[in-house]
Amino acid sequence: MAYDTETARPDFARMTPADLDTGPVPCAPYISPDWFELERERVFGRAWLCMGRVEQLPEPNSFITREVEICKALVLITRDKDDNIRAFHNVCSHRLNMLVTESSGKRSIFNCRYHNWTYRNNGDCTGIPDIKNFFGVDKKQCGLTPIHCDVWQGFIFINLQAEPEVTLREFLGPYAEAYEGFPYPFADNAYVIESNLNVNWKQIADAFAESYHVAAIHPATIGNTFASKSLNPFGRPLSGHAYGAHRVMCTFGNPDYVPPEDAHVERLAYSGMDTGNVLGGSDSKKLQDLANHPAANPTKRPNWGADVSWIFPNFNIDYGPGGFWTHEFWPTSVNSTRWILRVHVPEATSVRERIMQEHLACRFAEVMLEDVTNTQAQQRAMESGAKTHMHLQDGEMLIRHSNAVIRKWVESGSAREALDLD
Amino acid sequence: MTDKNILPAGFESLEPFVEYWAGETNDIRWDRRSRASMPDIQAFYDAMLARAEDAIQHLEKFPLGDMPPAEERLFCLTLSLVHASIAVELHEQPRAIDSPFPHGLHVTRGPWPHGGGMGQSA
Ligand code: FES
Ligand SMILES: [Fe+2]
Repeated sequence: MAYDTETARPDFARMTPADLDTGPVPCAPYISPDWFELERERVFGRAWLCMGRVEQLPEPNSFITREVEICKALVLITRDKDDNIRAFHNVCSHRLNMLVTESSGKRSIFNCRYHNWTYRNNGDCTGIPDIKNFFGVDKKQCGLTPIHCDVWQGFIFINLQAEPEVTLREFLGPYAEAYEGFPYPFADNAYVIESNLNVNWKQIADAFAESYHVAAIHPATIGNTFASKSLNPFGRPLSGHAYGAHRVMCTFGNPDYVPPEDAHVERLAYSGMDTGNVLGGSDSKKLQDLANHPAANPTKRPNWGADVSWIFPNFNIDYGPGGFWTHEFWPTSVNSTRWILRVHVPEATSVRERIMQEHLACRFAEVMLEDVTNTQAQQRAMESGAKTHMHLQDGEMLIRHSNAVIRKWVESGSAREALDLD
Repeated sequence: MTDKNILPAGFESLEPFVEYWAGETNDIRWDRRSRASMPDIQAFYDAMLARAEDAIQHLEKFPLGDMPPAEERLFCLTLSLVHASIAVELHEQPRAIDSPFPHGLHVTRGPWPHGGGMGQSA
């Protein structure tokens, strides 16, 4: 494989857009309770938020529940018998109990465990026990409260505004254009890593938004695959773009990586595979479509590791030659976050393939451990108040852009204004 | 040796490792490896690696996700070798360098089969 050594040159093209301020970035948004209140109302209260994929509701009458802690929203998402996907507040109309307590399942009727009011999965209230002793209550007025919901390329989004100012399509803007027709291989199967972390949600999102840290934080796990001492010692990204409120980065990968001689189990796990990408899940031909899509590795360099695509505010769709994975960063307080990683892989068809997947999942978990535990120390250091600003380099453009977009939404009177739609 | 530690014929020498290492989910196997000492990890790694290819060839005679109990146990033990290898081949110590423990990360749903599924649906 011929290497592209361009990234090592000092004049390699920078990715920070010209309209982005390049000064130091304030850290108050990561530690300030007042700023967190503004994010509650103006970012999470107004943006479209990704809840997951349609495959998580695999058949008619499937449902899932979710929580958006920062907005105190309990969300019930249903698929009806005609495959309509809807979202509701998961709250009973009687005395406002939480209606559905499971995280997922299959049911067309939900009954509240408190006094057995019942609801159909289209939101209609279908039963009120002992209704004659209520005072003129009208079942038609007692349905579940809907939440605006829309689907883009199989990703389910909600908007918590009473009337969304912008459509999902307007919100995604140039991101949706760039990713039109993008394949999401193995969308129906994933392994999941989760944690509650003592860190501001942006801190953990930032940890997955640059590859400058790879050589230092991940020397044993992926130091030799996503950076290279001789070819790309500082993990320079291959390219980066801002797409409206969203942003994408293409990272370097070492295509010649092979497990070391004494890594017997690693060699065993990947025997029979012709991909060298340690975070990839399969060498299926389906993946060719992904690699060929214009948005993936847009400069089509040979030494492609993975792309990070960060949908504002808190959702990542990342992908590489082996498939895609998503990150969700849900703020639970100014300095705590619920984080969910879903790595999409094909369902194993052989013992050997299953062992390879265990190796992928194990290594991914170790990488995550290195990433997220470091951020907790970083949060404490930021909260010490010793410094007021951070210095970001060109390869950290995504973090700079995220901060700028959040600030814009916080300072704008409306979502339309924040998106420059008016 | 209790019934629950029995492995298929020919793999008896691995039975002492079953109780600790044949964890049924990805998360349990990760946790067990993280709590083990390096000599214990190395002992399991050496013993299991020597039989890994035989184990895979034996297991491939059975349908994935529907094997007899002794085979499923051997499968979990083989999957645990992967976890041991992270300590032996990557970190050269039981856990990631400078990482706290317990760390609060969980594989709430592992790959199928024997991944575990205590979290949200796929
Ligand atoms: S609160 Fe739901 S039935 Fe009473
Ligand atoms: Fe990292």
